[in-house]
Amino acid sequence: MIPARILVVVGSGGVGKTTLAAVLGVAAAKAARDTLVMTFDPSLRLKDALGVGEAARDAEVRVPLNAPGALAVSLLDASGPFDRLVRRYAPDAASRDRILSNRLFRHLAGSLAGVLEYMAVGRLGRGAEAFLDRMVGLDLLRDMAEFFQAFAPLYEGLRTRAEDVHALLREPETIFVRVNGPAPEHVAETMFFARRLEEAGHHLGPVVVNRVHPRVEGTNPGLPDDRSEGRQLVAWLGERDRRGVEELRSLLDASRQPMVIPLLDEQPTNLAVLGGIRKTLLADTGGAHAR
Amino acid sequence: MVSAAVGRLLAARGRRVLAIEFDPRENLHHLRDVPPSGGDITAAGGGLVLQNLQPHQVLDELVRERLKLGMLARKVLTSPVYRHVAEGAPGLKETGVLGRAMRLIEGHGPRGLRRPDLVVLDAPATGHGVSLLHALTLVARVVRSGPVGHIASEIASFVGDRKHTGVITVTLAEEMPVRECLELISGLAETLARRAEAIVVNGLYPPLDRSAAAEDDPAVALFRRRRKINETQLARLRTRWNGPLVELPFLPVDRGPELTREVTLRLGRDLDAVSKELA
Repeated sequence: MIPARILVVVGSGGVGKTTLAAVLGVAAAKAARDTLVMTFDPSLRLKDALGVGEAARDAEVRVPLNAPGALAVSLLDASGPFDRLVRRYAPDAASRDRILSNRLFRHLAGSLAGVLEYMAVGRLGRGAEAFLDRMVGLDLLRDMAEFFQAFAPLYEGLRTRAEDVHALLREPETIFVRVNGPAPEHVAETMFFARRLEEAGHHLGPVVVNRVHPRVEGTNPGLPDDRSEGRQLVAWLGERDRRGVEELRSLLDASRQPMVIPLLDEQPTNLAVLGGIRKTLLADTGGAHAR
Repeated sequence: MVSAAVGRLLAARGRRVLAIEFDPRENLHHLRDVPPSGGDITAAGGGLVLQNLQPHQVLDELVRERLKLGMLARKVLTSPVYRHVAEGAPGLKETGVLGRAMRLIEGHGPRGLRRPDLVVLDAPATGHGVSLLHALTLVARVVRSGPVGHIASEIASFVGDRKHTGVITVTLAEEMPVRECLELISGLAETLARRAEAIVVNGLYPPLDRSAAAEDDPAVALFRRRRKINETQLARLRTRWNGPLVELPFLPVDRGPELTREVTLRLGRDLDAVSKELA
């Protein structure tokens, strides 16, 4: 069991982050932990993999899973939670409506970071106002002024919340799980990420290497002719991935040795496949991690 | 990889090509066996130059260009207000990078750089690619006056016009990447009223020789099943996309100059075939 309350699954595009998040959710529920899996993924692949409907866009939806713990899914859209924050911290209905109908807010609500940065600008005074006016024009400045004015009563509440989230992400019980492709070219990036994460005060847990090709030992009479393109490729991919995993093993310390998920012969689009990946992970770690 | 190959292909055909990436991890130099540029323009041989562009540098340059007085520019660049706007304003950085590509093509590049005939931009992953398009139109809509507003609308028309800007979408032949690729294609139509020039399907498992059956061998069975997934997804793409579609197989070569050479050859051959077919 990973000793965490929050697991943040990270990695480059297409390496299998959402699939792994779903697998870890299933594993935790099977280990009798009530678990919520959340995603910002705009393609909503989690919805398909865990078999929940569109309802998960607005609320937490329970996954029909036979397990001692409950498993729920929530599909997040960046603008939704921000709308909710505005509704929560606005001192009265008039302030709330003023913000929600602001032209600038409507454009920015999809980007939380952007909104917070704009708010920070609002707090920093008017030193560069003349410059901004020259660059972006009066229209936008008027919108910004109205926006900051409308936001003023909310700023402290949101700032405190942002600081709480910042601290939560650094707690020992918040663990980052890095997912990687198997090729050796990803190793340097993973080590760079691990270093940066620790420098920033976060905690890196296991590194998961996904989609690892099987290794073909020696001559295999079942494979096509040795000279064929396909035969060479099968052998080469197995060997390439072995090199990548070995290199990671040699660089990572004993506490976070890579967990290997082999390339599957089907796509992880349902609970049965996710259950299979969970079993593979358990076998790979001797039950030490995602049980 | 495909960006590097496209750059190399067009440079080999006599065009002056600048390949730009804005991933801070720098990938293009690996593919051409040249050292990391650290942001400088680096010659990669045969009419191809590379640059790793950091969006904040682009915006800083814009400030220096607009505020010709050095002292004033320094004051703005060190101002926390400017830093926060440059960092946090959604779409501004992306607009800056696209604007930079446009300006280089128009001949407003730095001293020492011959005006390129073509800029190849290694854009972010597909999901973010859609955001890039939205960012562009967002800035053009929100900022309607002032230099930034003018630049944003100019870029939106430049990127929307197929005479000036081509879009090549790269995908894997798997369920989710294909869905995202199709979403990008729809996004291009809805946001910029345009279509892509080609879809490149990368990392395909080539068909195995039928005579060597042995389905009970796990490696062969896995290989065939992955090929089957690829074929299903290629068929799905073809039902929704009637434009050029280039297939690139997995190749038994590590990432580096040799792989770029190989991909360039195949891309050139297939794109030529596609052009003939269309002609």
